[in-house]
Amino acid sequence: MSAAAIPAAGPVREPWWRGLGRFNVFTGIVLGIGGYLIGALVIGHVLSKGIPAQTETNQNDIEFVCGILLGIVGFLVGMGFLNYPIARLTGAAPTLREKEEKGIARYFTLCTDHKVVGIQYLWGVLFFFLVAGLNAMLIRTQLLYPTEHFWSADNYITLVGLHGTMMMMMTTSMVLGPFGNYFVPVMVGAKRMAFPRIEALSFWLLPVAGVVLLAAVGAKGFPTGWTGYANLSVQAKLGMDCYLISFALIGISMALVGFNMLVTVYTMRAPGMTWTRLPIFVWSVIATAFLQLLAAPVLIAGMSLVLLDRVVGTTFFMPFSGGSPFLYENLFWFFGHPEVYILALPGFGLVLEILPVFSRKPLWGYRLAVAGLMGVALLSFFVWQHHLFVSGINPDLRPFFMFTTELISIPTALVFLNAMGTLFRGKIRFSVPMLFALALFFNFFIGGASGVFLSDAPSDVSTHGSFFVMAHFHYTIMGGLVFAFFGGLFYWFPKMFGVHLNEKLGKLQFWLFFIFFNLTFFPLFAVGMLGQPRRVSAYSPSLQWLNDWVTAAAYMIGLSFAVFVVNVVYSCFFERRRPEANPWHSKGIEWQLPTPIPVDNFERVPVINASPYEYGTPEAPLVANLNPSHAEVVAAGG
Amino acid sequence: MSARRLGALLAAVLVVGGGVAIGLYVALFLEASPPPVQAAVIGRRVAALELQTVAEVGHGENSFWVSYYARTPGHKWVHSTILRVPAYSLVHVTVYQYDSATGLRNPLWGQPRGVVGGVMYVNGKPVKVLNPELASHTFAIPELGVSVPLPGVDEEAPNQCSNAPCTLAEAHNTITFTFRTRGPGKYRWQCFVPCAAGFIFGFGGPMQSIGYMDGELEVQSS
Ligand SMILES: [Cu+2]
Ligand SMILES: [Cu+2]
Repeated sequence: MSAAAIPAAGPVREPWWRGLGRFNVFTGIVLGIGGYLIGALVIGHVLSKGIPAQTETNQNDIEFVCGILLGIVGFLVGMGFLNYPIARLTGAAPTLREKEEKGIARYFTLCTDHKVVGIQYLWGVLFFFLVAGLNAMLIRTQLLYPTEHFWSADNYITLVGLHGTMMMMMTTSMVLGPFGNYFVPVMVGAKRMAFPRIEALSFWLLPVAGVVLLAAVGAKGFPTGWTGYANLSVQAKLGMDCYLISFALIGISMALVGFNMLVTVYTMRAPGMTWTRLPIFVWSVIATAFLQLLAAPVLIAGMSLVLLDRVVGTTFFMPFSGGSPFLYENLFWFFGHPEVYILALPGFGLVLEILPVFSRKPLWGYRLAVAGLMGVALLSFFVWQHHLFVSGINPDLRPFFMFTTELISIPTALVFLNAMGTLFRGKIRFSVPMLFALALFFNFFIGGASGVFLSDAPSDVSTHGSFFVMAHFHYTIMGGLVFAFFGGLFYWFPKMFGVHLNEKLGKLQFWLFFIFFNLTFFPLFAVGMLGQPRRVSAYSPSLQWLNDWVTAAAYMIGLSFAVFVVNVVYSCFFERRRPEANPWHSKGIEWQLPTPIPVDNFERVPVINASPYEYGTPEAPLVANLNPSHAEVVAAGG
Repeated sequence: MSARRLGALLAAVLVVGGGVAIGLYVALFLEASPPPVQAAVIGRRVAALELQTVAEVGHGENSFWVSYYARTPGHKWVHSTILRVPAYSLVHVTVYQYDSATGLRNPLWGQPRGVVGGVMYVNGKPVKVLNPELASHTFAIPELGVSVPLPGVDEEAPNQCSNAPCTLAEAHNTITFTFRTRGPGKYRWQCFVPCAAGFIFGFGGPMQSIGYMDGELEVQSS
């Protein structure tokens, strides 16, 4: 970093180490560690004195939880999240924006620019995905042999729980985090999100949750898998506290994102951006935001109650004094089922956004698509007990939940219908984003069809808790959401980074991923039908060849992600192909703006003149008038 | 190299380094396991195992925890529950029981099962069923159908053991029995008495920990 590299005329840059003394992630880490130590060694120590269940078992949940909670507070203070509230309390004038750093430094601070938050989310999500994906490779390694194992059963279940929880936590923000934050304000013609600081907070809770969850490994692990069922969780080791706190943090983050997105779309649309001109991706964000806002608090409650059972000795889930494990199962799945649609819906929205661009046709059945997304969102609150068919619930409830669950295939099918209608007689370009988008429909069809067997109480009895379930939800989440995510990433990468990802490497990644994804998870339906349970590493020796096949294919999925990493490095640092202003010839507003998008997105409030899907209509106006006259603004209702 | 490139490189190194560090961290956790203890081979397809159960380890990280110990063929007591035995063999087990009675949740487990002759010997006397209230721990290998209740020592007995491994001079019961192994593989074994003092229902800590009340039988082809 020589002085010569800095242009003489430019502003004098401060040395990099100055940043350490300010409010940023480094300060946050230091205060976080300090907070942990004070919480555990002082507050927790005092609070747990004289409680033998805490002090005489070498499992002092009070100390540990106090440490983590204070550590989180310390981190947020160090990040500077309290600066503004304190300034306001002491009479400072309101501002919409924190003092923002320049260059790479702003990615390590509380930044209120929604585009910076989007990119923070992107790398955060990818890092989570990498770690949880490596865990998946380890799981498959353990399953190479039916009875001979590399690691003990206890450690294996922690590994499975770590993979599952990390993936479920990360995927809740996989699309909404990077693309929602980056593009929703742009797509509705706004200059920012409604609550920029809350937006920053929702991101920074994600790495905190990641670190807390990983700490479970150092705290002897947790034996519950990603669902954390009580009362096993109440009796589990210290690592369980990490699971509970980190999942609750993700719940808070989700609720904040949902709230922020809803208010942004409702209140900050540009003049002329009517509900029927809203990009379908934004509609899917609205549907998801509703789910997040309504479901996440139930998760936070569930996690907090288990934490209370463990730490202060309440008995919400302990039958011997009137508690009930069913309470947990209901709380968890009342969140958990909507969560699977929190994962699925943004994926649907994303591919429906991509399809018209690459088939040069308007989105077929726009209103139907909106109805489908909203229908799924609404119905998803009425199906949660299909996870409990074999748990001993009142059998009379089964038909109702069977019915509602099967009902949900109708709005889901609408989305398929929109896609097929859009593709019909389109001028299809098989670019990388389009390949990923098309693959979603193939994968999700298999995922959805296999779901019918699980929603049917009679057949669920034999498939529940087996690899059949596991194959089913990997087909929907990985085959759906993760494919959509990569489609969106290839589609918007030129806009976000001003670099075009290499198409050849992209296609290589796609085909490796698509082929080996199916070769991995399709056989797992058979494995499950033949009786192999989830979360257990011992299985019948007769299933070894199928398991070994799956493991080999899973390694190849890992290879496809390695191709992606190579692609990013190669495209960004070696090839550096500058994209055209609008490489996919999309009508989306985001492509009308310069790259990189300026801090305020729009110089003046734009006026929206058309829907973004009017492909094939030569006389259609540009979607946004970026420089409208006063009369045009008034005419558009602004 | 420009500051920008250097920054990017630094970030890349940090990400890769972070990934590798997390990978190592998880891998070390997975590998963590007490050392395996080999059973003594005392004949063709016959092996002998010596174990002891103690009320409190008495020292180290989890000094309050109840635990099993195992003895190597070199007569050294090791804090481990990973037991290596030959396949398709008879295994003579001797358990020195130093802990007092907790009682069985299920009286059915008062009967030694899956052992040769359906009988165990307590201080040399054959026992076909144990009063459930006298049991302190069980030695059970579910996959082999083995389940043996271990009678606790009298709480009033003089010379109680307080620091593991305990010696024969301290108050104890000696239980012997024989079971048969099947083919090679890892078999889970554990105690089924919720004996973890201080934990909810006695099911926490040591009951969930390999090296304490939980273990693995590594059956190896001989
Ligand atoms: Cu569900
Ligand atoms: Cu025991």
